[in-house]
Amino acid sequence: MRQEMLGSILSELNGSSADIEASAVISTDGLLISSVLPQDMDEDRVGAMSAAMLSLGDRTAQELSRGELEQVLVKGRTGYILMTYAGDDAVITVLAKPKAKLGLIFLDVKRAAENIAKVL
Amino acid sequence: MTTLVGADREKDNMIDKDGNTIKPDFADLTRYAKQFSDLTTEKENLLLSIKSEIEPLLSEVTDNFYQIMHGIPEAATFLEGRVEKLKPTHQNWMHGLFTGPYDEKYTEAMYHVGDVHVRVNLPVEFMSGGITLICNQLYKLVFEIYSEDLVKAHKIADAINSAMGFSLFVMQKSYHASVDETLDKFLLITGMSKALFEKLSSTFNSTQP
Repeated sequence: MRQEMLGSILSELNGSSADIEASAVISTDGLLISSVLPQDMDEDRVGAMSAAMLSLGDRTAQELSRGELEQVLVKGRTGYILMTYAGDDAVITVLAKPKAKLGLIFLDVKRAAENIAKVL
Repeated sequence: MTTLVGADREKDNMIDKDGNTIKPDFADLTRYAKQFSDLTTEKENLLLSIKSEIEPLLSEVTDNFYQIMHGIPEAATFLEGRVEKLKPTHQNWMHGLFTGPYDEKYTEAMYHVGDVHVRVNLPVEFMSGGITLICNQLYKLVFEIYSEDLVKAHKIADAINSAMGFSLFVMQKSYHASVDETLDKFLLITGMSKALFEKLSSTFNSTQP
């Protein structure tokens, strides 16, 4: 039941913008909970790397006195990776196109993260 | 007191939440190492009993040891210009082998020796290799000294083997602790859990990056 609800939240998120290419919910220990990812993408790596990045982002924000971490954004030549907490124990990771409108994506991801936290 | 000795405790942290090193329980480590090396009270007493015969020859063992080490290219680079400084420390340890006692203080000292080796980035195989070289020389000495009583010579060689095994066990423990400490510090700095680190590690073990 929860699995379906999480899948539904991610599908809705991916459908909310043509700029979103993939998304996943991951435990803070890097285990994949639910995902809507392209077939050629290694789920284990997405999970482990996302959780690691968010963990490091969390520590960096603390150490550099930036307060509680809200999100980690990575920009590559071919797109963005956005990670944010979905409750205390999970991470939502979103992959977006290079010319994505980030403002809209931030809002959609924030909403999705709140819904995921409620389900978990 | 925090204990970090037995195999069932390997997953315990080597540093506290502030990044300070947690010292091992040396009494427990002494017990643990003695069990693995079979260093019994009888063997300890036997080693102490031959002190007067063997001690005058120990400096020769130290000299030979460094001479052999110098002939090993991988080891020679670590020894360059340091041998004369290292010899007294080595001789003190050799002296301790035949004066004992093999107690918490001895264990702590050996742990410290291992720790120093880690800090100078000495390859871990140098310790086991070095112990083998020293054992070979001590056996040779013992069989020369007690050539008339081979039963005793064998018993002494057995005791030396246990004492050297005990020392190596403790030194290697500090090597492993050092690796664990490095990992713990990394986890503390990055905020990652051990489970996440293991997940990352297994993910990147399975295929090439």
